[in-house]
Amino acid sequence: MFDQLFIGGLATGCIYAVVGLGFTLVYRTLRMVNFAQGHVFMAGAFLGLVIAERVRLPALPLLLVVGAVAFALGMVLERLVFRRLYHNHEVFIVGSIGLGIVLMNGVRVFFPEPVPFPKVFGSTVVQIGTARFQEAYLWVVVSTLVLVVLLHAMFTYTRTGRALRAVAADAEIAGTVGVNVNRAIAFTFGLSFAVAAIAGVLIGPLYFVSFDMGDMVGLKAFSAAVFGGINSIPGTILGGLVIGVLENFAGGYISSAYKDLVAFVILLVMLIWRPTGLLGRETPVKV
Amino acid sequence: MTAFRISQRGWIVVAALAALVALPGYAPQYLVHVANFILIYTLPVIGLGFLTGFTGRVSLAQGALFGVGAYTTALLTTKLGWAPLATLVPSVLMTVVLAVALGGAAVRLAGLYFVMATIGIQQIVWLVLMNWIELTNGPQGVRSIPAIGLGGYELETPQRFFFLALAAAGISYFLAKRVIGSRLGLYLRALSDDQLAASSVAVEVGRAKVTALALSAAWAGAGGFLYAHYVRYIHPDMFGLEASVLYLVMSMFGGYRSIAGMIVATAILESATEYLRPFGEFRMIAYGMILLLGMMYFPKGILTLVRRRASAPATEKS
Repeated sequence: MFDQLFIGGLATGCIYAVVGLGFTLVYRTLRMVNFAQGHVFMAGAFLGLVIAERVRLPALPLLLVVGAVAFALGMVLERLVFRRLYHNHEVFIVGSIGLGIVLMNGVRVFFPEPVPFPKVFGSTVVQIGTARFQEAYLWVVVSTLVLVVLLHAMFTYTRTGRALRAVAADAEIAGTVGVNVNRAIAFTFGLSFAVAAIAGVLIGPLYFVSFDMGDMVGLKAFSAAVFGGINSIPGTILGGLVIGVLENFAGGYISSAYKDLVAFVILLVMLIWRPTGLLGRETPVKV
Repeated sequence: MTAFRISQRGWIVVAALAALVALPGYAPQYLVHVANFILIYTLPVIGLGFLTGFTGRVSLAQGALFGVGAYTTALLTTKLGWAPLATLVPSVLMTVVLAVALGGAAVRLAGLYFVMATIGIQQIVWLVLMNWIELTNGPQGVRSIPAIGLGGYELETPQRFFFLALAAAGISYFLAKRVIGSRLGLYLRALSDDQLAASSVAVEVGRAKVTALALSAAWAGAGGFLYAHYVRYIHPDMFGLEASVLYLVMSMFGGYRSIAGMIVATAILESATEYLRPFGEFRMIAYGMILLLGMMYFPKGILTLVRRRASAPATEKS
């Protein structure tokens, strides 16, 4: 029971962590919260579904294609939409929620009912300890690990990664030393869209996909990001894993009715106790 | 000249009020129905105004607080058989107590961090309404909530309810004006302009902020009370995050500090959900587009357009 709940929670936690990374990437750069993030995750799942139904791609190329399309979409939407919302955080929140409503109901027009996702990650049952689970769970955990390592390598060793970090630290100074700030911001949105869409494809085979699946996952991923520290990438990953595991335990041992409550209680308590989150460092304005 | 202008404006207000009061007399029932929703929603929106306009804090929990008011009266009347009017005070009190209990510690957070906390509050309240089935009936909602009776006169139809809604909106408008004009309102405005300066002239910043939260919850609770007895069937999804977003947008489109602006914005947005009906299944897409484009092109409220035009000649003169 314990092993089963733990591994299930870990897989969900990975999804919260990856979707939450999208929140963190944008927040670090702009001090804004993009509430369309959860719906990008949903759109990614459907994009994967549409591609997988037409072309029989193996799992890895499918993830890459969806990630690339989402990346491009993120760059385009930054140019056309997000750039006009940088006035203040309320404007950005409401605008991005509006965008999320458009995405969700746009998908709803084509897929009004939940649909099963093709088993692209195989359906063998694996046994670890006393827990038995589908192979797809392993894919979720391993892909998250790979994604995090890749992101870390990019931020540490590549020119683009350093440019992104410079803009996140201080956009104005980054600009004066020759970083193309606009492109870095567009790139940030591209990345945040790509990770969310990849998470959508990863979770797809485990459940049915439906147009409203991004609502709850988006908000929980957001809670995970705040819990771990919304300006800290390691913090967000930790936050996602902890919330995923804790809510699975709460669902298994206490009551399934209040499973969803865990993430939000943690969010509220954390904000009151330590607004920067577990691993965040920025001193928030708190007077 | 000035006197003439004021009286002209006064006449317009009087004429508009007269047209409003006589609305059930000439308008079709459907229009009265929409008008009732507009009047009810002005309450939570004015409530948000206290918080947003006067402390600079944006809340995304107003939908949940509205729901607490609605559920309190619905459960007291259907399960305990209270008279509807007797539940007004408990509804408002319950909403205020819950808001302060959950949000009291969070109001000291500034800016985005406060918004994050209110999203947590919103989700917690909604999940409890959805899952505490023994108390709230959960996803079944609460059915057959009685209509409000005034001396044996049941306010069942939209036409009859209209006058109560109009009176409630009017009273809450003038009460809000009174609060803003009072010493407390002065504190709150000082707080929103410059917190440090306010605290240095002995404004108790912490208490003023909690008071603003309590006021905003009180207005939400009263709105929820009206709503429950008007629609007479409530469901947790009526008080989800979407509702909170709607109230926030209504107050933003109105441009925060102007109560009149909020009421106009409420009217426009509430009727938007009605005149978008021809779009059928694309209705929600159109609604999302309104939010998105509204924020992209009018980040400071729609009324700024009108006001900019109206104040332009005046600035030329000076």
